[in-house]
Amino acid sequence: MLRVEKLSTFYGNIQALRDVTIRVRRGSITTIIGANGAGKTTLLRTISGLNKARHGLIIFEDQDITNTPPNKIVKMGISHAPQGRQVFGDMTVAENLELGRYSRRFANRAEYKQDIEMVYEVFPILAERSGQLAGTLSGGEQQMLAVGRALMSRPKLLLLDEPSMGLAPKVIQSIFKTLFRLHEQGLSILLVEQDAKIALETADYGYVMRTGKVALGGDAGELLENEEVKKIYLG
Amino acid sequence: MARRKGIVETHSYRTFLIVAAFIFILPIWARPIPGEALHMDIVNLMVLTGIYACAVLGLNLLLGYAGQISLGHAAFFGIGAYTTAILCTRFTWFPTWLGVILGASLAGAIGWLVGKPVLRLKGNYLAMATLGLGEIAFILFSQLKGLTGGTVGMLNIPPLSIFGLKFDTDIKFYYLVWAIVLVIMLLTINLVLSRVGRGLRALHSSEVAADAMGVNTGSYRVKVFVWSAVLAGLGGALFAHFQLYINPESFTFALSILFVTMVVVGGMGDIWGGLVGVVALTFLPSIIQVFPEWIPGIPESLTNFSNYALVLYGLLLIIFMIFLPKGLSYGMERGVAAGRRSAKLLLDRIRAHD
Repeated sequence: MLRVEKLSTFYGNIQALRDVTIRVRRGSITTIIGANGAGKTTLLRTISGLNKARHGLIIFEDQDITNTPPNKIVKMGISHAPQGRQVFGDMTVAENLELGRYSRRFANRAEYKQDIEMVYEVFPILAERSGQLAGTLSGGEQQMLAVGRALMSRPKLLLLDEPSMGLAPKVIQSIFKTLFRLHEQGLSILLVEQDAKIALETADYGYVMRTGKVALGGDAGELLENEEVKKIYLG
Repeated sequence: MARRKGIVETHSYRTFLIVAAFIFILPIWARPIPGEALHMDIVNLMVLTGIYACAVLGLNLLLGYAGQISLGHAAFFGIGAYTTAILCTRFTWFPTWLGVILGASLAGAIGWLVGKPVLRLKGNYLAMATLGLGEIAFILFSQLKGLTGGTVGMLNIPPLSIFGLKFDTDIKFYYLVWAIVLVIMLLTINLVLSRVGRGLRALHSSEVAADAMGVNTGSYRVKVFVWSAVLAGLGGALFAHFQLYINPESFTFALSILFVTMVVVGGMGDIWGGLVGVVALTFLPSIIQVFPEWIPGIPESLTNFSNYALVLYGLLLIIFMIFLPKGLSYGMERGVAAGRRSAKLLLDRIRAHD
């Protein structure tokens, strides 16, 4: 469904991605693990058009989407829940969700209701909090909102950047359970995560990134067993 | 699309009606009283307020919603004023209302030329660019003597007339300007509550997330900036037809700062607050001018407002940014609420004593 070929991205003169090649199969959860500054977030940002690629190709459903502006990428079916949740703090939960479908300009009210019902079904707590300002939610609830907001554009592929960041283990568990359920319903997910254990346990495939390069890749189960991964990332 | 029914919308439109009614009756009530200590011409000041309000409403959107600052809105104000002044004094047959429209359009076009390349960059490059634009415009206004009359300026600008109706008195102009301001307010309220407005608020709240949701942030910033330039140009054109003479001194850096101060004092991103800021700062010089009659022995230099206007604006900016970042109207709301609470507490205590 998504192919990234020899992708290189720069911040000024600093190279953040070096010839990164990954695949995301339809209906899979694919995870990218690695230390801080390995280029995981940059990879997601380049796929969703927030950063420009200097070399390489991004192919989504047989279309070249390299350096397409983000608003078009969302329309094509890739939705990005950025790092640090980034909910719109001074808007209500419902307004945040509404912004999630910003790209689908002419979608009608019935569809909107359907979408928001779907999100409320996935995260019932958001329905309870719908009139509350997003900035007043707990960290876990904000993460749910960020994921829910990304679901509102009816994505085929969901890009998730560190959903576990700053959350209690119990909350992380519950969010990953939800992700797995979404995956069972047919959603493809590309998951960037620092918490290698839970990421590899949830995912089908995994890549390990180090200093802007893909160091390892394969079945998530195999990576969990890999000696090097065990030593460095699983402790 | 689920327009947010309830709080914001009804609140805004109700406030709108109250403000509109107030503006309608104000001139009847506010006749200048001879012999009064506070001898301000309220209608005249309110015309100026309305003219400034045009510019400030646009700037408020830019600051409060697009998160960008312009330090050169006096340039757009001046471009609007000079465009219609030049057209209407050169060609006496030229319809004044068309001059106003062309003035606003030219300001918008120049705003686009400046904003388009600069606003693609993140960060506050717009402040630099507009600062430069303001200085360039001021120099051109004073140096293009053949066109603008140099530092002397332009005299004999005809009063505004629309389809034979001449707006040649303060009171007529008052109703015209405030009708225009109210229309702009309505447009702005609608804009803020529309899809575009949601995009703008998202942009202000988290640019990363707004980008990721597919809000075209770069193009929105340009559009808001151009719209604010058009409104400033419109204000300037009305200013020219109200004063009937203009010179470069009316469009200096101090005016740009005044506009920004009005936005900050009123409350960034708060449409009604913006209006409060304009009223407060337009009336401030006249109020200060009255002081010496109350305080004997105050030095002359302190009564001449323009001597220390910039210092005062700077001070106001600092004070508001630190103590009232949400502006005067929000502060007043809080003050009223606090007053009510303590009054209730006091009453309860008195009752408890009984």
